[in-house]
Amino acid sequence: MDKRNSPKLMALIAALLLLLSACATPPAPSERDLEGSAPATTKAPPTYATWDEVLAAARGTTVNWYMWGGSDKINADVDNDIGRVVQETYGVTLNRVPVTDIAEVVNKLLNESAAGVTDGGSADLLWINGENFKTVKDANLLYGPFVNLLPNTKYVNWDDPAMANDFGTPVEGYESPWGHAQFVMEYDTAQVGDIPPTTFEALAAWIRANPGKFTYPAIPDFTGSVFVRHLFYWAAGGPEPFMGDFDQAVFDQYAPRVWEYLNDIETSLWREGQTYPTAAAMTDLLANKEIAFNMDYSPGNASLKIAQGVYPETIRTFVFDTGTLANNNYVAIPFNASNPAGAMVIANWLIDPEMQLILADPTRWGWLMAIDPARMTAEQQARLAGYELGPATLQADVLASKALPEPGGDWVTAFEKGWIENVLQK
Amino acid sequence: MKEFWRWVFIVLMTVAVMAPLLVQIVWSFAFRWHFPDLLPGEWGLNAWRYVFSDASRVGEALVNSMSIALVVSLLSIAVGLPAARALALDDFPGKGAIEWLLLIPILVPGVVTTMGIHIAFIRLRLADTYLGVVLIHLIPCIPYMILVMTSVFASYDTALEDTARTLGASAVRTFWHVTLPAIFPGLLVATLFTFLISWSQYVTTLLIGGGRIITLPMILFPFISGSNNATAAAISLIFVAPALLALVFTSHSLAKEPSILGGFGRM
Amino acid sequence: MRRREWLERLKIPLMLAPAFLVLIVLFSGGLVVGLGQSLGYMPVIGLNEFTLHHYADVLTNSNFLQSLWVTFYIAFTSTLLSTVIAIPCALVLRQAFKGSRFATFIFQVPIPIPHLVVAFGIVALVTQSGVMARVLASIGLLSEPGQFPVMVFDRAGVAIQMVYLWKEAPFIGLVVLAVLRSVGTEYEELAQTLGANRWQRFRYVLLPMIAPAILSTSIIVFAFVFASYEIPLLLGVRFPTTLPVWAFQLYQDPDLSLRPPAMAISVILTIISIMFLITYRRVARYAIK
Repeated sequence: MDKRNSPKLMALIAALLLLLSACATPPAPSERDLEGSAPATTKAPPTYATWDEVLAAARGTTVNWYMWGGSDKINADVDNDIGRVVQETYGVTLNRVPVTDIAEVVNKLLNESAAGVTDGGSADLLWINGENFKTVKDANLLYGPFVNLLPNTKYVNWDDPAMANDFGTPVEGYESPWGHAQFVMEYDTAQVGDIPPTTFEALAAWIRANPGKFTYPAIPDFTGSVFVRHLFYWAAGGPEPFMGDFDQAVFDQYAPRVWEYLNDIETSLWREGQTYPTAAAMTDLLANKEIAFNMDYSPGNASLKIAQGVYPETIRTFVFDTGTLANNNYVAIPFNASNPAGAMVIANWLIDPEMQLILADPTRWGWLMAIDPARMTAEQQARLAGYELGPATLQADVLASKALPEPGGDWVTAFEKGWIENVLQK
Repeated sequence: MKEFWRWVFIVLMTVAVMAPLLVQIVWSFAFRWHFPDLLPGEWGLNAWRYVFSDASRVGEALVNSMSIALVVSLLSIAVGLPAARALALDDFPGKGAIEWLLLIPILVPGVVTTMGIHIAFIRLRLADTYLGVVLIHLIPCIPYMILVMTSVFASYDTALEDTARTLGASAVRTFWHVTLPAIFPGLLVATLFTFLISWSQYVTTLLIGGGRIITLPMILFPFISGSNNATAAAISLIFVAPALLALVFTSHSLAKEPSILGGFGRM
Repeated sequence: MRRREWLERLKIPLMLAPAFLVLIVLFSGGLVVGLGQSLGYMPVIGLNEFTLHHYADVLTNSNFLQSLWVTFYIAFTSTLLSTVIAIPCALVLRQAFKGSRFATFIFQVPIPIPHLVVAFGIVALVTQSGVMARVLASIGLLSEPGQFPVMVFDRAGVAIQMVYLWKEAPFIGLVVLAVLRSVGTEYEELAQTLGANRWQRFRYVLLPMIAPAILSTSIIVFAFVFASYEIPLLLGVRFPTTLPVWAFQLYQDPDLSLRPPAMAISVILTIISIMFLITYRRVARYAIK
């Protein structure tokens, strides 16, 4: 038997198939392949002088917007209220790329930067803020500043330091806001009663009296992190000490009280503090009455979840007497974006009053506005005032009166590291 | 008596196997289902409606997952079949070492090599591409193909092939009409395994695909770690369906051919 | 004649070449780069020297041993339990009885189901407010989720092991079943006529026959579970976590200087896994003889 031909044949088939696979790249409907044409030189994405140039360059293009993909409602809303509109009005196609954590994209940008990929990047727009923003800004991974090119930026109150700074990092035109968020506590009136504990002392007392019914998400989860931040403000009697640059002495002054509080309640927590759940898991825990409290950055979420059937109808929200932290959702453009013009068009639409009204509509998105309502027309302001909040949502002025600014990014890192060392690992 | 216990065993096994799957079917049709309800308090089709909508991108992910798995399987066959044959039927110096080398990817965590190769892929503009994802899937898939097919070839008698060639049949005809039918059950099972390995890849696709190549596990993961159980269940069922279908087709071969699974007894 | 000899000599390398090429280039390439990074060689961020201090840092890190223990423990018990369950299943399924085809099919169902799907299903069943808890509540055995034992997000990793058990026991079982089917019943019948009882037939006739298969499949299962990332991340505790999860979290951190330790953990993890498996294989081979 002439065996040599059969394996040779197989080798040939192998080579052929490899070749085929390289050529026949089936295009997924809304995918943009990396154009292998441009070599990795120091080409940078184009910049624009006027808004008209941006509009012209953006027409007929696709924007890859990387954002958290774990909410079917947000996914659908983005496609409908943003995707469809920018398609019809500006001829821009939105390709929403779902990620589990935006840190993945930060990682990707870092890798691309390290590999010298300065243009033709696969991400055009990012939903980002806080520590992640600081990381990418400090590492020069952002395109811009671009905000002043956007006509709708006039609706944003950039004089407000809470807007001009993202967790203490100056925005300086590298980010455009999208929505506003404020921390609220969610609780089950069926388990806690109508009057929740609105001070940390009262909360601790309630926890001790009702063991196993309270917990918070494990750091580095965003929501767990902000809960711990509240405790630092409480220990210091206010946010002032944490507004500037990180100061070890100041940190050491207040940290012990915070760790004491958290370690003190630990044995009365859910699972006796042996483990801390993810933020997403806590929704289930509260819905199933395993715990009595949850926490969220979005004041309108509780009502939304009731409407979605995720929460029972007995859930309500409250804020602490000492206030709760508020911040903004931003979008930013990576340094090597293929389509910064299209990204800017979308960023501009996001702060358009019409879009913001949809955002603030409790029956649509249920978020808080990023623009200054006073800058809208009278008719638009009237529509805003006419919205009916959901059963669990607090009034906007109540929230505003209790709003606290976020500390600088370095403080957050210190708080998180401290928690891991002094509470989690004890 | 013996039959009674055997019956008990079968019932228990069936419950244990089917329960995690059935509960997901129920969840996918649930609107409100909290403790302590045994069945959803309110039923609803919203999870399925979302899954079939454009916003979920399930269709796109399904096509991607399917085509990637098929291409990877085909490539694994093309590359692994000759290698398996050589390992099974021929003797040569260094055979043991080569065998170990070709099978080592099974023992080494996929994360390790992927993390290492990531930057190289970026430089080669392979990151975020379909081809890049196919290549990275090949690493765990080819060894499994080789493992199973080596065993199949080991119990394979080349006499028929020899006869065919002596009678004047060409290499292609011999392969197609003699070799292939003989190894077909084993090949089917091996292909099933490689298909499933590629189908289930999450971390590798995430890293190399960079979020641009959307496969079903990438859509599923945020929902599983999230709180929307109904949608997670619906996507999960879609993720499972083709795999189960493949099982129905190969079940016969799986249970009957000892040589196939005997391949796993080689290590 | 010369040409034929040449082609004959080329045949085998040619057959092995594609597989070798793909795996060497991709796999070893990745491994080598990872190794380099673990030794501190990362030119992209300006690290141009080789050093062992990342390994030292990792090995002396107080969390390392804990994570290693968790990783090992989960892999070991999952493999052990899967094997212990697989053998009796295979023994039952090899008999011909009414419904054996159905039973065998059911036994095969877990094979193609991806681990993510299994994780979701198991969680829906055994979480404190899951279906099992609700069943117990409906017959009055408990009134609150808190009374149901903790199996998810727990230090013992019960739910994690359930997932692996559900997936891997049929895998091991089917291989054992295949071996049992191929050897037939003659040896046992012979032993029976010689007066051996059930246990003796199993211990001295069947067990040696299926031992190599058990050995190989348990190696594969252990290696797989040891290296797994997704299930411990989804269902495990936040701390201490398994080594692969820890390595990946370090890798995902925006701080690029954490890459070398991430790689160091991965390499250590690989070495430990391979060493354990080589030892296990040697010992088991010896025991089989």
